Amino acid sequence: MSIFARLLPLLLALVLAAPLVAQTPLQDVLQANRVEVANPSRASVGQVLAALREADAPGTSEFLRQWQDRMVVEDPATGLFHVSLEVEGRQLALIDLDSGAEIGRVSSRDVIPIRPNAGVRREIGAALVRFELSAPDPSRRLAALEAIARSPDADQIPLLESAIPDESDADIRARKLRLLDLLNARFATDTGQRIAAIKGLSGDVSTEARRVLNQILATEPGLAPTLPTDRNIARVLIAGQHLSPHEAYDRLVAAGLAPARPERNTLRDALLAHVADGAVAGLPLHRLSDPAARIEAYGVLQAQGLVPPLVGEADIAATLAGYVFFDTYLEPDPALTDAARAALDQTATRLTLFQWMAISLDALSLASIFFLAAIGLAITFGVMRVINMAHGEFIMMGAYTGYVVQTVIPDYTVSLIVALPLAFVVAFGAGVAMERLVIRHLYTRPLETLLATFGMSIALQQLAKNIFGTQAKPLTAPDWLAGAISLNDVVSISTIRVAIFVLALIFLAALLIMLKRTRLGLEVRAVTQNPGMAASMGINPDRINMLTFGLGSGIAGVAGVAIGLYAQVTSEMGANYIVQSFMTVVVGGVGNVWGTLAGAGLIGFLQKGIEWFNPSNTLAAQTFMVLFIILFIQFRPRGIIALKGRAAGE
Amino acid sequence: MMTLLEVRDVSVSFDGFRAINNLSLSIGEPELRAVIGPNGAGKTTFMDIVTGKTRPDSGQVLWGERQIDLLRLSESQIARAGIGRKFQKPTVFEDQTVRANLSMAVRNKRGPFAVLFWKATPEDHRRIAELAEEIGLTDRLGDRAGDLSHGQKQWLEIGMLLAQDPRLLLVDEPAAGMTPAEREHTTDLLKRAAQTRAVVVIEHDMEFIRRLACRVSVLHEGALLAEGSLDHVTRNQQVIDVYLGR
Amino acid sequence: MTLINRPPVAPTAPILAEGMAKVPPRRGFLRENPSLPWFLGLLTIFTLMVSVLSEGLGVGALSTSMVKIIGMTLCLCLIAIAMDVVWGYCGILSLGHFAFFGLGGYAIGMWQMYARTEIVIRDSMAGGVLPPTPAEVSDAVAAQIFGVVGSLDLPLIWSFAHSLPAQLALVVLVPGLLALVFGWLAFRSRVTGVYLSILTQAMTLALALYLFQNDSGLRGNNGLAGLQNIPGLLDVPQAVLSVWFLWASALALGLGYGLFAWVVSGKFGSVIRAIRDNEARVRFLGYNVEGYKLFVFTLTAIVSGIAGALYYPQAGIINPAELAPIASIYLAVWVAIGGRGRLYGAVIGAASVSLLSSWLTGGGAPNIEIGAFRLMWADWWLVLLGVGFVAVTLFFPKGIGGLFDKLVRKQP
Repeated sequence: MSIFARLLPLLLALVLAAPLVAQTPLQDVLQANRVEVANPSRASVGQVLAALREADAPGTSEFLRQWQDRMVVEDPATGLFHVSLEVEGRQLALIDLDSGAEIGRVSSRDVIPIRPNAGVRREIGAALVRFELSAPDPSRRLAALEAIARSPDADQIPLLESAIPDESDADIRARKLRLLDLLNARFATDTGQRIAAIKGLSGDVSTEARRVLNQILATEPGLAPTLPTDRNIARVLIAGQHLSPHEAYDRLVAAGLAPARPERNTLRDALLAHVADGAVAGLPLHRLSDPAARIEAYGVLQAQGLVPPLVGEADIAATLAGYVFFDTYLEPDPALTDAARAALDQTATRLTLFQWMAISLDALSLASIFFLAAIGLAITFGVMRVINMAHGEFIMMGAYTGYVVQTVIPDYTVSLIVALPLAFVVAFGAGVAMERLVIRHLYTRPLETLLATFGMSIALQQLAKNIFGTQAKPLTAPDWLAGAISLNDVVSISTIRVAIFVLALIFLAALLIMLKRTRLGLEVRAVTQNPGMAASMGINPDRINMLTFGLGSGIAGVAGVAIGLYAQVTSEMGANYIVQSFMTVVVGGVGNVWGTLAGAGLIGFLQKGIEWFNPSNTLAAQTFMVLFIILFIQFRPRGIIALKGRAAGE
Repeated sequence: MMTLLEVRDVSVSFDGFRAINNLSLSIGEPELRAVIGPNGAGKTTFMDIVTGKTRPDSGQVLWGERQIDLLRLSESQIARAGIGRKFQKPTVFEDQTVRANLSMAVRNKRGPFAVLFWKATPEDHRRIAELAEEIGLTDRLGDRAGDLSHGQKQWLEIGMLLAQDPRLLLVDEPAAGMTPAEREHTTDLLKRAAQTRAVVVIEHDMEFIRRLACRVSVLHEGALLAEGSLDHVTRNQQVIDVYLGR
Repeated sequence: MTLINRPPVAPTAPILAEGMAKVPPRRGFLRENPSLPWFLGLLTIFTLMVSVLSEGLGVGALSTSMVKIIGMTLCLCLIAIAMDVVWGYCGILSLGHFAFFGLGGYAIGMWQMYARTEIVIRDSMAGGVLPPTPAEVSDAVAAQIFGVVGSLDLPLIWSFAHSLPAQLALVVLVPGLLALVFGWLAFRSRVTGVYLSILTQAMTLALALYLFQNDSGLRGNNGLAGLQNIPGLLDVPQAVLSVWFLWASALALGLGYGLFAWVVSGKFGSVIRAIRDNEARVRFLGYNVEGYKLFVFTLTAIVSGIAGALYYPQAGIINPAELAPIASIYLAVWVAIGGRGRLYGAVIGAASVSLLSSWLTGGGAPNIEIGAFRLMWADWWLVLLGVGFVAVTLFFPKGIGGLFDKLVRKQP
């Protein structure tokens, strides 16, 4: 490794720190305590450390770390202390403590290494922590706190305690107090103090608090002929109820209290070990494909004392009867474990609440995606009774539009602002073209529109593949959309999903306003409810159909950009959403924005709910969801919000 | 004359609009009955309820000697129980021959397996020929029903209704689109049918109803307004108000 | 309920006499289905020709893989006529029949895989000192088959996998029962039209997703493989086996054609076409529409299952992707292109589109050079199919079969 690379952080730290402070250089402080630095002992090191803290020279903490790591050497010629770095061979590079510059290379024999012993190093470590905990730079204080949180230790309690009174930053102070609680809960010597700390953690849903409580509640399995009274028993386990008889028996086996159960091949291996002259125990080998004959042969071997007896179910039951099984806490004091249990129970209630919240947020975001994907479909289906199988391809078209815009405009924010309306325009145009060229001719044959649009879907998908290739294309979100908004360790949602939710809300509002407040909306609703009557009142259904189809497709295009931002853009991405979109429309009920919203909500929440029960298996979740929808249609064939009356008849 | 169909206190509403409002009506066997009323009086909805197409919100529809509640039966079960219906707009299966149309309607077992293994008996052929004769389509038995004229389709549908051999015929505007001669034929046919079974006719044409010379029920806003002979109801002041407006 | 069969409307005497005289001649089954003898004849000639040209039994002009493709195409034709009956005749646009096809394939594939693995295991165990117990054999077979999805146990649904008759029964029972249950649920709630299509598509999707899981008991997305080997016939060369399967497929297609020709002719055919055209009216005639639909749906599902059971041993492998909703939509495309409502139309559509597809995507057709631009058929075939399909729907709603009608009508 090059010296430069190793030096860089040091250099940087010095360069950054140097102009800010102009105190006594570090070397001077050390020279003032030469003897103690060169030959540190537990008794004397405190004096050096106090002096260092007093001086607060730049690079002190770095020096402490190096001192602790035995990297500091003394130059016997000058009496100065340097940091030494090993370079090739037995050469050492000497680094000046204050400037961080290399001042020369020497043989390792030419300098005196300073080797503090374990006790001294612990002292230095503690000083380092204390030093960092009170560092003027808040980010250094926070980093020190995180270091403690990562590897908690009983020694850190007094350090942390001493660093609290001087803390000026309220947030860091709170963090210090919380960390002190965490440390006290585990390591405080006084039980009362521990219990108080544990109580302080109750209801805290953060992972670290829960980890501490769970550590206190850690158990180990135990067994004995009778329940011991001198142990802190977590729970008694009854074989056949809390654990299976075989598990219980295996615990006995592990404790060396019972012979092992026969495994799959125990019998066979025992017989194989005693094959003689084409027979085992007098039974010819060819007969031993019969399980009964094998047991018989084993019985003979056992009678001869050649093999141990096989442990049967009856043996297991008999052995188990003589033992009690239990889990004991590693923590011997019941008062502590009870307090931790109570605290954890308290947390569990809040945790459930937050988990519900997290799932609901997830579901809400999924529902908004389904809503965006399905609303265009619902509009076209509602107004024209046309199932557009190519709807997914309009989603894809929108996403590819976004991708193309990003290749032209490198700024992600600007490109997104351009892509959203452009995707709408592109998909709108494609939709109108398709309506004019194909769908218009098939209004009397709804099932055939389904097929014709499917033909379009095949062609468009393959076309996209031919143009953009089969590789997934990225659609990158701008930085301000890249992060996540998190409330605590449990509830967190990526910003992009929030943005999609907001987009869905905007579309919902825009559609409602368009449908309820504009002339076009009035005409659309009229055609939805009674096409014949609408036509006879002078509404041109041809125009309405064209515009509706374009509108539905345009929304799909915008949805494509949104979906592309968090999933990848492929030619098949539309197809992945089309079935769910259909479900949303069917479940929600046709011809009603609220219906689609309800459908999307139901499906989104349902899918997340099922995933929650079986998080490892999203495929199963989808399977069950589809089954649910099939059953749902049984009870509400026209969806959640159905049009009623004669118009709905056919 | 026994009561074949009894409609008791039936109400149904669509989106708050009461299409049928506490309607009670009974039809005897044999009987010929005309149902009249202005547009929206609930005439067609009444038929929809009896045939099972529309489920009422409340009330009962009782059928036959054993007073079976028709509301518990499906459309096809009601049809098999002996209620035949002719729609306002002729609905025949245009893609199939006249013979196939009649053959489907002829009284036979209706289950999928029975139909799959069904073979026409001479009796079936005779019956179809007879019906074709009756409706004047003997020469067109082999033609697609879609190629028939409007009037002929009306006839074919009447033929299918007769082929079902129902105890109760519900006939919605049978004379629409027919020539005067055809109307006369239709009147004859309905009157003859009504000698052995119950026939309910919905019609706007007063002349046609006068020729039927039967009991008349007047519906208005989903309820029974008046009942009796045509002369009797046309003298009823309420009926006059409803038809002429106030 | 007593329903007295009352006398017909009292007729006038002379009319009745005349009517009785006009009993029409009885129409034979073949007269109603003129295409049946033609079809069976052509199928026989075609099968014999392929056999004669085959590598296994004939002169060797057709490679074994080609014979397999032809045999598979015949199976596709069989499911296409099933689709035609359920859609073209009964009006149910099912987007799920390929799921039944796949289930048939899985049912037979389970036996093939189990039985063949058992032979291999027994062979390898025969070398051991101790002869294996039945439990050891079945454990080893299970480990061999399911090791790939990380399991050592035979799932419950493989309980009958050792038995050919049982799995053959499942070829019929599994698609049949699934269709029966699903159809009953869907039809009784009067789901029709595009709703029904989407519901069938949902069913297919659910099934495919289920099979994609490793713990579905059918090896997840690995599917079942090595199906070209028929246990018990392992010594028969593939070249010969392919011809046998060709015959079996042709026989099944012929029988299926006959069965469906019988079903769609006569009164039953009348009723289902009437259901297609106006379901409500059929109800008022006293027919239990749901029963008819269920019958047709289930019968065609069973035939699809049989077609699948013949197809996959020729294809050699089956996996859940085969059941994906898209496959069932392609099936609808074939039938629509061939011409709905006529059985031979479905055969023409399935055969022409699937053969054309494998020819063009398999690199059989020369690519076209247009200046610097090179038209690759493999890339553009689907675009062509999609656009062509739209054109057929728009301009030839009766499909290729519709052209036959015109020809037949022109020759008096």
